[in-house]
Amino acid sequence: MSIVRKVVKEIEKRKALTAILLMLFMMLFFDTRFYTAYNLLDMLNSAAILEMLAFGVTLVIICGGCDFSIGAMMSLAGIITIKLMDHMPLGPAICAAVACGALVGFINGFLVVKQKTEPFIITLGMGMLLKGIAQQITDAHPVPAKNLSYMKIANGKVLFGIPNLIIIMIVMLLLFYYILRYTPFGRNCYAVGGDYHVATQSGIRAERIKWAAFVICGAMAAFCGVLLSSKLNTGSSIYGDSTALSVNCGCVVGGTSFAGGVGGILQSFIGLLAIQVLENCMNMLGISAYVQKVCEGVIILLILWFDNYAQKRKKEAV
Amino acid sequence: MDAKTRIGYFVKNNLVLVTIMILAAVTALIEPKFLTVANLGNLMNQFGPLSFVALGMTLAIIGGFIDLSVAGIVSLSAVFTISMIDVLGQGGALIAGLAAGVAMGLLNAFIVVSCGALTQAKALFITYGLSAVYSAAALLYTDGATQHMSHLASRTDLFKAVGSGRAGFIPASFLLFIIIMALLHVFLTRTQTGREICLTGANITAADLCGIPVKRRITLVFVLSGVLSAFGAIVLFSRITTASPLLGANYETNAILAVVVGGTSLAGGRGSVVRTMLGVMLVILLSNCLNLLGVSTYLQSVCKGAVLIIAIWLDRRRVK
Amino acid sequence: MDRQLSDVILSVEHVSKAFPGVKALDDVSLQVGRGVVHGIVGENGAGKSTLMKILSGVYTKDAGTVVFDGQTIEKTTPMESLRRGLSIIYQEFSLISSMTVGENIFLGRFREAGGMRGTHQKAKELLEQIGSSIHTGSYVSELSTSEKQMVEIAKALSFQSKLIIMDEPSSSLTEEELAKLGDIIRQMRSGGISILYISHKLDEIFEYCDVVTIMRDGHVIDTRPVRELDRREMVGMMVGRTIENEYPERPHFVGEPLMKVEHLTTNKLKDISFTLNRGEILGFVGLVGAGRTEIVRAIYGADKVKRKEIQIEGEAVKIMSSRDGKKCGIAFVPEDRKQQGLVLPFSVESNISMANLKKLKKGMFLSPDKERKMAEEKISELLIKTPSPASVIVNLSGGNQQKCIIGRWLETEPKILIMDEPTRGIDVGAKYEIYMLMKKAVEAGSSIILISSELPEVLNMSNRVLTIADGRITGEFDPEKVSAQEIMNRAIG
Repeated sequence: MSIVRKVVKEIEKRKALTAILLMLFMMLFFDTRFYTAYNLLDMLNSAAILEMLAFGVTLVIICGGCDFSIGAMMSLAGIITIKLMDHMPLGPAICAAVACGALVGFINGFLVVKQKTEPFIITLGMGMLLKGIAQQITDAHPVPAKNLSYMKIANGKVLFGIPNLIIIMIVMLLLFYYILRYTPFGRNCYAVGGDYHVATQSGIRAERIKWAAFVICGAMAAFCGVLLSSKLNTGSSIYGDSTALSVNCGCVVGGTSFAGGVGGILQSFIGLLAIQVLENCMNMLGISAYVQKVCEGVIILLILWFDNYAQKRKKEAV
Repeated sequence: MDAKTRIGYFVKNNLVLVTIMILAAVTALIEPKFLTVANLGNLMNQFGPLSFVALGMTLAIIGGFIDLSVAGIVSLSAVFTISMIDVLGQGGALIAGLAAGVAMGLLNAFIVVSCGALTQAKALFITYGLSAVYSAAALLYTDGATQHMSHLASRTDLFKAVGSGRAGFIPASFLLFIIIMALLHVFLTRTQTGREICLTGANITAADLCGIPVKRRITLVFVLSGVLSAFGAIVLFSRITTASPLLGANYETNAILAVVVGGTSLAGGRGSVVRTMLGVMLVILLSNCLNLLGVSTYLQSVCKGAVLIIAIWLDRRRVK
Repeated sequence: MDRQLSDVILSVEHVSKAFPGVKALDDVSLQVGRGVVHGIVGENGAGKSTLMKILSGVYTKDAGTVVFDGQTIEKTTPMESLRRGLSIIYQEFSLISSMTVGENIFLGRFREAGGMRGTHQKAKELLEQIGSSIHTGSYVSELSTSEKQMVEIAKALSFQSKLIIMDEPSSSLTEEELAKLGDIIRQMRSGGISILYISHKLDEIFEYCDVVTIMRDGHVIDTRPVRELDRREMVGMMVGRTIENEYPERPHFVGEPLMKVEHLTTNKLKDISFTLNRGEILGFVGLVGAGRTEIVRAIYGADKVKRKEIQIEGEAVKIMSSRDGKKCGIAFVPEDRKQQGLVLPFSVESNISMANLKKLKKGMFLSPDKERKMAEEKISELLIKTPSPASVIVNLSGGNQQKCIIGRWLETEPKILIMDEPTRGIDVGAKYEIYMLMKKAVEAGSSIILISSELPEVLNMSNRVLTIADGRITGEFDPEKVSAQEIMNRAIG
């Protein structure tokens, strides 16, 4: 293979990273506050919660599924925590919220793995249901947190002035990376998503693995919901409305394809980061919010289109 | 078969009808005024926009696809149509709105077919992504502002008639719905193209091998879904005289709910628009009943979500 | 066979297995010695794959005993089988393309292998054992067939397998790669590992095997040391059989050339050219994977091709899709009737009419009466057993389902009727009825291309037979004049 083809192949493997580098390069030519420590740190901070959401979903996507209830779960978890805060200390309240997330994940997993329903539509329905519950509990009004120390969790800077969120994100990143790369569970996720049948024949308990992935994803979504409501010190049922689509697709951008069995934490991280960087760039360039939304939508569409097209070309190899 | 088995058999095969009857009975018990002629008209009125979107969704599902872009199509065609009233006049705007629905349907089909996402599962993501694009486009088009029909200079009585007009106690929108439903029913069951759509949805490989132009039929169902959604949008804003760019929110889930609950299988190929009518009726009765019982809208949303999940689950078990 | 107990690694005694409609294995017995390369030959449907799957635990036998390494095996699972030391390498391989070589070798045994590092280290050692330099970090999707095979062998070795079953190991291998495989096989044999070498390639049986078992129609014909046999004898045992099926008298309606196919080329097919005559039944004989289905699908337009030139009745035609093929008067009864032929939830009459919707039209609409009539005609013509034309087709037996599909296509009055495995999974009585249908069709002027893995069927029904191997036409025969043995010989390649 000639040098050119090799380079192209490498770039193709790292689309998201290339996109980020291109954008970083491009922003050098514009006179904006993009390249300030404040902006860069702020960008990472805003991305942190979504990134952690992506870590959980990555597990599910690698197993060959997807989860579109994460947005609603996020908002519900925040609401649950804030409501429970009035009756119990912070710690248990947070644990209860995360447990709810795990429960929802358990139900999702049951429907997808045991009942073999289509994960996309069933988690979409679940999201609708969760949103309804969230609206019911709060009567569709934002609920402020009464415990002031709650805000400090997400907004504090405990270590050397680095925002807590970024530290938590790094911890989660390392944790999930380790799980996916160095534990039997993680490796088996790849097997289950890569070829369910072969995995089962090799003695892997594919059903349990996939089910567990959903549970972890749900718990993670709840955890992120806690962080989000801590950051804004409010719980609201409108948080997380379009999150599910952008997070799931962010993973795909980075290389964690819906086909299953490929990708990983780093890929999802970079993929979602690319979308965040894009948003930030567009903000800095003064592009209106609506144009941004259209751009994001078109980009997501293109990603999905290419993901499918690549699979089509593989099949039709004449 | 003795009487008991016969009843059991009837219930099983006509679950929807039976549920409707039960709901109607329960509602009538709580609120005797339910069975008056005036209220009947009110019920028919509730069919409104959702019924048209659900018709379009039925066609898509029979053709083998779930069209999640309807929410975006509703939003975009609503704001587009209103904006065209002063420019093209009422009639022109109406046509333009429907044309927008057709255009979006064509775009949907083009994208799905060109990348080979010819299974329902793969196309789901794509139509969902398209919904996001259309919704965002609606926001962009109006710069986030809600359009008001009252701000328009031209006449809007055509739209008012479509949205709120009545013939006696029967709403114009309901009449239109029945007519379109009947036409679609005949189309699906009695024409070659309609039959080909059903075959494509049931087994696209077999249909293709029998010489059926599957790509063309898929395009057709997406176009029909698009234009019907656009029409639903027109009925909607005609009624409330405003169009927010977020108008279409949740229409896709409500439409799927109506279709699935009505008995059309998500597996494709089988189903009927008449069943969808029953499905819409059931959803309306359920909402009414819950309203009368004092259940909040949010809890109703929860109910609908739960019903959707259960309906999909049962549908899956039936097909397996 | 006079062997001591400890010399035998696998003993199969009187094993039988039946599926609905077909007896796949009938009283099969054989013994495999330790450190012996034992070949198994037989044509499609001989029972080789069923036997393999029983040994590896995918199927359960109906009767008989299996003793492996001194242990009697009743019901088992693939993983238990592996742990016992019995590995099986399928033709399509059991690997996960999106994972690395190392991980595939130790799939499901991550902890045992010692985590990521241990996996790759041990994998490297195993590959070196068989002289392979594949990098353990490469993804299986990047490997060639030969390399994938190495990975499978390393996997088998990682279980300390005492018996490795290889199913058609040489398909898609070059000569060099095959030679390398041969070396590995010899190496394993001297290490005391037994190999069950299942193949059609008789040359390889003679080259690598010590002993060979010939199977046919679910029976074991004989088991002999390879040096006691020659090729002719072997083929003779593979094909010689008592007539079980009945066939109608061979139709003789052959006329002038009808269709000419030239330079048909795809990834798999290499410049195929042939002629089909009017009223002729042309049989394609070949092994699974030789390209028979690919040829007919390419002609019909169902698959894309690199090149093809087709003339029908003297005129060049352009066929780019199934729709075009149908318009040119070609009909296609596919191999997989459940997935590609039938619309299972629909009625018998819908399934019959779906290729003939134009005929049902009365003005602008489809006429249910016409549809009913069409179905009733076909039901009586083809003797389809169904409670009513409106019955859902999934409830019919395989034979009757197939008749519906054939009826559907006969209704189109095709010039060329392609039938791919038309009697697969169908009982003897229904088969005869289908043969009669074929005869009627050519009588009425159609030509048939018949693909079948049942050699007697093709030979008895065809006027002319083409043998296909490795994407090429390797021979043309008149089945009335040439023996089954010779034809099979050419089909094996």
